[in-house]
Amino acid sequence: MTEPELVLFERLGAVGKLPLLKRASGTMLCELTGGKRIERWRITVDNGAVAVARGNGPADCVLRADRTLFGRMAAGEVNAFAAVLRGAVTIEGNPRLLVLFQRLLPGPRS
Amino acid sequence: MSDELVKVLDGNTFVVSDDCGDIEASPTDPTGLFAYDTRFLSKWVLTIDGERLNALSVDDLQYFETRFFLVPGTGTVYVDARLSVIRQRDVANGFHEVLTILNHGEEPVKLRVRIDAASDFADLFEVKDALEKKGSYVARVEKGALRLGYDRETYKRSTLISSSARARVDESGLAFQITIPAHGEWTTELDVVAQIPGFGGLEVPPKRSRRRTMEANLDRWLGGAPRMECDWEPLKRTYGRSLVDLAALRFAPPVAGGRSLPAAGLPWFMTMFGRDSIFTSLQALPFTPELAATTLRALGEWQGTRLDDFRDEDPGRILHELRYGELTAFEERPHSPYYGCADATPLYVVLLDEYERWTGDRKLVRDLEYEARSALAWIDEYADLQGNGYVWYERRNEETGLENQCWKDSWDSISYRDGRLPDFPRATCELQGYAYDAKLRGARLARLVWKDPELADQLERQAADLKRRFNRDFWVEDDEYFALALDVEGKQVDALASNNGHLLWSGIVDKSKAKAVVRHLMGPRLFTGWGVRTLAEGEARFNPIGYHVGTVWPFDNSFIAWGLRRYGFKDEAATIAAGILDAAEFFQGRLPEAFGGYERQQTKYPVQYPTACSPQAWSTGTPLLLLRAMLGLEPLGEHLVVDPALPASIGRLELLDIPGRWGRVDAFGRGRVEVDGGQRPRARAANSAARRG
Repeated sequence: MTEPELVLFERLGAVGKLPLLKRASGTMLCELTGGKRIERWRITVDNGAVAVARGNGPADCVLRADRTLFGRMAAGEVNAFAAVLRGAVTIEGNPRLLVLFQRLLPGPRS
Repeated sequence: MSDELVKVLDGNTFVVSDDCGDIEASPTDPTGLFAYDTRFLSKWVLTIDGERLNALSVDDLQYFETRFFLVPGTGTVYVDARLSVIRQRDVANGFHEVLTILNHGEEPVKLRVRIDAASDFADLFEVKDALEKKGSYVARVEKGALRLGYDRETYKRSTLISSSARARVDESGLAFQITIPAHGEWTTELDVVAQIPGFGGLEVPPKRSRRRTMEANLDRWLGGAPRMECDWEPLKRTYGRSLVDLAALRFAPPVAGGRSLPAAGLPWFMTMFGRDSIFTSLQALPFTPELAATTLRALGEWQGTRLDDFRDEDPGRILHELRYGELTAFEERPHSPYYGCADATPLYVVLLDEYERWTGDRKLVRDLEYEARSALAWIDEYADLQGNGYVWYERRNEETGLENQCWKDSWDSISYRDGRLPDFPRATCELQGYAYDAKLRGARLARLVWKDPELADQLERQAADLKRRFNRDFWVEDDEYFALALDVEGKQVDALASNNGHLLWSGIVDKSKAKAVVRHLMGPRLFTGWGVRTLAEGEARFNPIGYHVGTVWPFDNSFIAWGLRRYGFKDEAATIAAGILDAAEFFQGRLPEAFGGYERQQTKYPVQYPTACSPQAWSTGTPLLLLRAMLGLEPLGEHLVVDPALPASIGRLELLDIPGRWGRVDAFGRGRVEVDGGQRPRARAANSAARRG
């Protein structure tokens, strides 16, 4: 089975333009820890157009999370905002991007 | 909470202390330093030579700044007049306190000054419900400062306390051994900083220059609002109080991109609330339209995108309440955010349209097209739980979700005449009014801005159909008013309630039925002389001090007055305005959330509801909307129509520089409506009684 975070990044990479991100621009860098090395993904939004790239680079907001936990967020099992409040996920930079990002995550499985 | 407590606030950070500036919180009372729904300081006690101090006076300089004048000695007689102590405190991501001790004697004095500090890091919900903590506490001396901390797994909150003057710091406070020369003074600046690691920009310590920025910001806010001249002095005071309180209740959560919108109210609700922010923005539109713009943007960014039963989230739904505390963090409460309300979503569209009508800002309507369309779609796709064309609610989170998802959200607010409570789902009447209004307003925006005449036609057809069915299904024939709700079986939940006034505001009431509705609103079962009760006297659950079953809510009345104007009942609108504004005078211009639904003749002064929030945003906005209703302010195309109908007691009223798509215009009126308030005891005589009540 493919890891849920890969499914998420693939989906976001193919989504093109999203009306709910219409007024948003910026890059969020996701740093996923817990593996042999830190995995980095960048999600860039340019007035609604979404692009996903692997690797490091400049960002307006850095999200840092354990890879397993991030996977559970990507699968809709863990609420991202509660995880940030809990300190299980940390945010550096503009928190508005986090608000927009968490809206792209799926809901919990019923 | 008691009026004797001193509150200093800035957005969602606030300090509540006694009149000496001391904090000694018990587990259940709301004193302390609060930020992001967490108490960061539950003890803050100043002593000199081991003695507590006595308050001489408290100056509320600004809402974000207070000065306490103190003297040593704890008896009723001031034992030591050689010293005086000043604590000046301003709030900013924690607080900043300048402590000054003056020696008035001719000899130098040696003093032991001490501040005891501690924190329980309680979640506001815990304070409200007296719950137990699950994590562990630490207190540590760090580079001359005191750090108080609380950890539970990855959840960390801490308070850093430092002093500009050298202090001996231990785990329970800061101590100073000082000598003050004859006629000299000693001073130190204390910083208390609330810290939430790993959460964006929240760790910024307060800047000294912030106070000046905040002063300039308040001046700009007051300067931007219309100026008022009025023969009746209390109204001027109430207006001024409203503007300042509204400024205080604005906050800019980091998750809203730094823009400020109204929080709901102190102390429990200093956070983003869908319904309260929208109602307050509607009330304030003629005065500070920018509040509406920020509310719309911020709520739009949190609009629901998925089905989540725990949070009662649906795609397109506007949030109910966002919280940052420990219980939310560990998902013991669903406020991350919680979406369980059925009115904020249609009201979102109502506000967007009303905002455009006042300001002409079509750019925002274009920017929020997706959000507004999603909100309109929610009404049909997710709110119609019974599939019969009405808005219904039933929580999916059965443990910690809200049962009543309308503004009357207490457990017993929706009842039949005989007091029985209906099963779920419920379709309360005002929700249908809001949905009707949202559809018509959405249609206007679709035609005018989104250039989608098909959607406009469809929404108008749906609205007409909804109005027709509503006037048939909700109308209580024998007594001629609208039922409070429909139950699961489609039967009327037939209690008479103030919700009828909101129906007038929404325009869903058939013209032929309006007169009968108004007769009820202004009749003795609902109207007390101060305002309209939430539930009519004579209903089984009526209780004049029941939260939503008999009290008078100023906010509710402001929308009822607007509704009365909408149907041409100008004198009745003036009567309600007169009653509520008279009541405001008893509360020094600051209307509480609710007051008792007693007859005005009987109590002579309005009795404040015991645990009401104050200041509270939509009560603060009430005088503003009443002014609009009395002056008959209504945008028409590019112009502002003024059609005053004022209570005679107000005399001459001028509202100057009303902002809008017309630039700035003035409105004038002179009181001519004779309001029969019985004897009108002036508040001055009864002030102290009202405060104690």
